[in-house]
Amino acid sequence: MTILQENPLQLRAIGQPRLLAGLKEGRAELHRHLWTHGPMPQLSRETYAELATAVGLRGRGGAAFPVALKLADLPSRGIEAVVVNGSESEPLSRKDRLLLTLAPHLVLDGATGLAQALGAPQVLVAVHDAAAASSIRAALLERQDAVDVQVADTPGRFVAGEARAVLSVLEGGLAVPPGRRVLPTRKGYHRRPTFLSNVETFAQLAVLARLGSREFSSTGLSSEPGTHLLTVAGAVDRPGVIETPTGIPLETVLQFAGAPQTGAILIGGYHGRWLPQATGVQLSRPDVRVGAGIVLALGTDTCPLGEVHRVAEWLASQSAGQCGPCVFGLAALVDDFGRLLNGDPAGWHDAQRHLGLVPGRGACAHPDGSARFLASALDVFGEDVRSHLGAGGCGRAVRGVLPVPGGAW
Amino acid sequence: MNKLEIDWTRCDGHGLCATLLPDDVVLDEWGFPVLRGREITRGEVTNARRAVLACPALALRLSRGVEGDL
Repeated sequence: MTILQENPLQLRAIGQPRLLAGLKEGRAELHRHLWTHGPMPQLSRETYAELATAVGLRGRGGAAFPVALKLADLPSRGIEAVVVNGSESEPLSRKDRLLLTLAPHLVLDGATGLAQALGAPQVLVAVHDAAAASSIRAALLERQDAVDVQVADTPGRFVAGEARAVLSVLEGGLAVPPGRRVLPTRKGYHRRPTFLSNVETFAQLAVLARLGSREFSSTGLSSEPGTHLLTVAGAVDRPGVIETPTGIPLETVLQFAGAPQTGAILIGGYHGRWLPQATGVQLSRPDVRVGAGIVLALGTDTCPLGEVHRVAEWLASQSAGQCGPCVFGLAALVDDFGRLLNGDPAGWHDAQRHLGLVPGRGACAHPDGSARFLASALDVFGEDVRSHLGAGGCGRAVRGVLPVPGGAW
Repeated sequence: MNKLEIDWTRCDGHGLCATLLPDDVVLDEWGFPVLRGREITRGEVTNARRAVLACPALALRLSRGVEGDL
């Protein structure tokens, strides 16, 4: 359990909410869901492809892969399953379990609607959070879908949320990514063509199917219109999930969440990047990779490198232990950052070398993402690096602003 | 186009590949291969195949372009 989970889920919107519409009073059962959103239209595969192309919809799990390309890569027939990846293994993210818990019908509309359009006989929902799983199961009792829907529990390890690790669990295997890099659209569930995406992607599809591309594009960026869900955390007065139009200024998000002294900002979670400050930053790709929508304000009264070191230890512990460079590389980086914290310049030099040895050398993107997070920390916290190397510290305690789940979570 | 590829879930760092293909593979400080990433030309394919067969962990592969990640 993490610090964030102890608070009730907070949800708010800047502008008109779409995914979070009608959820002010809590979970939307079928009647309220239909009253808010209207019935789900039955669309053809071609229409889904046109809609996804028109609005440039991208997967909301972190990799931001275009949905239209994923659809185009599927064969014309023989699609085995549509998989909703709700494992949400990124420890800072809350948006997917919030959607599954409060708006299960919207997610199911998107998944079953697409499954019908693709001719896939089943929908598999992979969930880690217990409340989210029971909400989806309760929702299934309320509705009659033309396709079979199964809910499966996945372990909460970081790499267990990776797409192919989720498929492996669904097939009854271990929650680890396989060694061969194959696309689920070609060889997915039981090595058959599969459409797999993140929870929010399916909720967006359900909204897009109802609104059509023109109305969907009435807010947000012209290049990638619509809204997205952000999980705002760290040194803010009102943490929680916020729905905002795409391309919103980062400052607006932080003011809305109540962040008087933001300090550096982490975008995209523990596989993401640090920004030195929020001023003038717009949440739009490719400059800022919002990823799974995590925005964390570090604040100004904690030791940044100490915080990063704690996360590095956690990232190393989350390796599935399959790939040598990830196991040894992340452990070495933890050691490097530890020495750097204590003022040893060799720690900094070794970290630079090890950061080059880790990316691209594993079965999944865990080494790449972890290295990205650590490398950007050394960039952005250059001044802190100097004070640690010069004076053996920055004079601030490590307050644990970056939550690190303890043990197996 | 032919390229060397490593299945990292299988590789145990035996290091034979670096001995057999010194122009394409070097070992990092933990003994795991670092690929040069260049294309294996037609004349080199035979040697590369031999190295692939020699890998004790069956981790080294010769591929015709990767399908890419998700």
